[in-house]
Amino acid sequence: MFTPLSTEALDASRRPGAYVSKVRVRDRYHIVGFISSGTYGRVYKAIGKNGQKGEFAIKKFKPDKEGETIQYTGLSQSAIREMSLCTELSHANVVQLEEIILEDKCIFMVFEYTEHDLLQIIHHHTQPQRHAISAPMVRSILFQLLNGLLYLHTNWVLHRDLKPANILVTSSGAIRIGDLGLARLFYKPLNSLFSGDKVVVTIWYRAPELLLGSRHYTPAVDMWAVGCIFAELLSLRPIFKGEEAKMDSKKTVPFQRNQMMKIIEILGLPRKETWPGLAAMPEYPQLQSLVLHRQPAHFHRGPNLEGWYQSCLKNGAYSASSSVGTPGADGFDLLSRMLEYDPVKRITAEQALEHPYFANGGPISGNCFAGIESKYPHRRVTQDDNDIRTGSLPGTKRSGLPDDSMMRAAKRVKE
Amino acid sequence: MAANYWASTQRRHWLFTREKLADIRDGLRERDKVTHSQFPLPDQRLLNIYFNQQLIKLGKRMSTRQQAIATAQVYLKRFYTKNEIRQTNPYLVLTTAFYLACKMEECPQHIRFVVGEARGLWPEFITHDVAKLGECEFALISEMSSQLIVHHPYRTLTELQTDLSLSSDEVALGWSVINDHYLTDLPLLHPPHVIGIMAIIIAVVFKPAHPGNFGNSAQSALAATMRDGGMNNLAYALSDKTGPGAPRIHKLVQWLAESDVDIKAVVECTQELLSLYEVWEQYSEKHCKELIGRMVKSKNLDK
Repeated sequence: MFTPLSTEALDASRRPGAYVSKVRVRDRYHIVGFISSGTYGRVYKAIGKNGQKGEFAIKKFKPDKEGETIQYTGLSQSAIREMSLCTELSHANVVQLEEIILEDKCIFMVFEYTEHDLLQIIHHHTQPQRHAISAPMVRSILFQLLNGLLYLHTNWVLHRDLKPANILVTSSGAIRIGDLGLARLFYKPLNSLFSGDKVVVTIWYRAPELLLGSRHYTPAVDMWAVGCIFAELLSLRPIFKGEEAKMDSKKTVPFQRNQMMKIIEILGLPRKETWPGLAAMPEYPQLQSLVLHRQPAHFHRGPNLEGWYQSCLKNGAYSASSSVGTPGADGFDLLSRMLEYDPVKRITAEQALEHPYFANGGPISGNCFAGIESKYPHRRVTQDDNDIRTGSLPGTKRSGLPDDSMMRAAKRVKE
Repeated sequence: MAANYWASTQRRHWLFTREKLADIRDGLRERDKVTHSQFPLPDQRLLNIYFNQQLIKLGKRMSTRQQAIATAQVYLKRFYTKNEIRQTNPYLVLTTAFYLACKMEECPQHIRFVVGEARGLWPEFITHDVAKLGECEFALISEMSSQLIVHHPYRTLTELQTDLSLSSDEVALGWSVINDHYLTDLPLLHPPHVIGIMAIIIAVVFKPAHPGNFGNSAQSALAATMRDGGMNNLAYALSDKTGPGAPRIHKLVQWLAESDVDIKAVVECTQELLSLYEVWEQYSEKHCKELIGRMVKSKNLDK
């Protein structure tokens, strides 16, 4: 097939001193197919060539286009964050970066390939009918996830976007925290963690302090998301499946009333007595108006996470005598500590790893598939686009500066 | 990592011995001897002073934090261990380092704004074309292997402030000393905590005569004191663990003895700083500007 000269090669021939990558993606990897796309760009599956062994996932960041020509317009801050953090990080439960190639005005981040992710595994358990994920498997997933998160938090990294689709699983059952596109260092940042990115974390996994407009958030936001993921692994449905309120024309961030309601329906109203910082939250008046205007019965029934948990165990046929086992009372205790309203009291990753849920009940396998007969389907790789070249991409015009977290958040509603 | 310097890429890939650094620079010179003799440039430290002043000018109108300027200076140093300065347009490289450092230190500036400001300062060397800066950003990131997180000594200073009961004047002087160390090769030669401790020692031992007004650099406050036998005071203070001397210094020396800090390295850093203050007296902004300008223009590096 005729391959046109890359724009880079043309540039370089014209101008001495132009940037030319020393490494070329297509010299090192053979693209097998297309995996997924997002606002950031596209992910391809690849196999190594010329001595490079193994399977890889290559994340290609969308280049900017001005009219028909792709131009250098400055990298987005989220791309810079992900590149710099992934380069530093190395842990068995965090996705492993192989290399970053800057070529043809694009960034290619080459990661190890993971066959599964939690979204896909949860989905598989609802097909053709619901069948629960076994209790030991949930325990192994959660333990590995917390282990990776403890590593991130001790290194002052907040993930800020934990959700089932971002929790990757290798074919040998190892959990890898992926997509650090929203991750940030939280050690005395120059700007507050609020400025710059107004919306963080997919709405269903968003911690209550963020919903209430907190500016001083902490690793506790990631722990809330882990609690939501734990609940979802057991019930196979998002526990707080709210509808996202859209940003208005003035681009002010709206109060996520519906999402807050979903949480209140299960956890009861947050109270000043048990969450001292509550009244200082920017959106506290909104919360009060919510109470005044709607007073359905569940507002007064009090917290019933335990009720939710018991019916979840019942629906999933979780019990000590069943083949799937049960997360038991320890599981409930851990879940309730992760879904604690007050971020100051919420359990930390370190404390969670020492919780009786893990300490009791025997060894935990580093392979979450250990003892499981059935096979999970492989990641879908399509053939309709395995041309990684720049020209094949529908580009969008973006400015270099704004963080694309808003666009990402908006897109998630459709997912 | 942010908390873990020991596992960081800074320690693993961007810490050199003096000999290694000299070898690298010799290698760059060997590759292009002709250009080197054609375009002589001032002492590296004088160039660093010039670049730093340009970065401060650039940052001034954008209310940039000192740490972003510091990160930009480290990026320049790293980049020029891989590239001969005479093959580059230093004004473009420093503007790009600034632009990238601002994103990395979470105080981002729009690329058009940065280019606009840079053009305002150096109209002959920066074009309107933002793509030039975008392209240079690729080169910068690529040469640094995407290793963009920089550990700074400022943190050591603030972390030890309470333990060592440092006064606000001492912290301010220590801060300025850290600012100054970016004008030397020290960021490529020593871990940040060693630099931080050096800054604290200097601040405590050479208590400045006119506290409270050091500006960005400690040069004016320290150069004379350090030269006039100041180094002997320092060596004396550090070697004598029990003798007299001010109780403040005594406490600091005791703390040092109990810590695992490499005292030899700290002393070496102090000497490096002293020699910076000596060479500083030859600094001429005009001279640097002329030499760089001539080089960029005659080699068409701004095109």
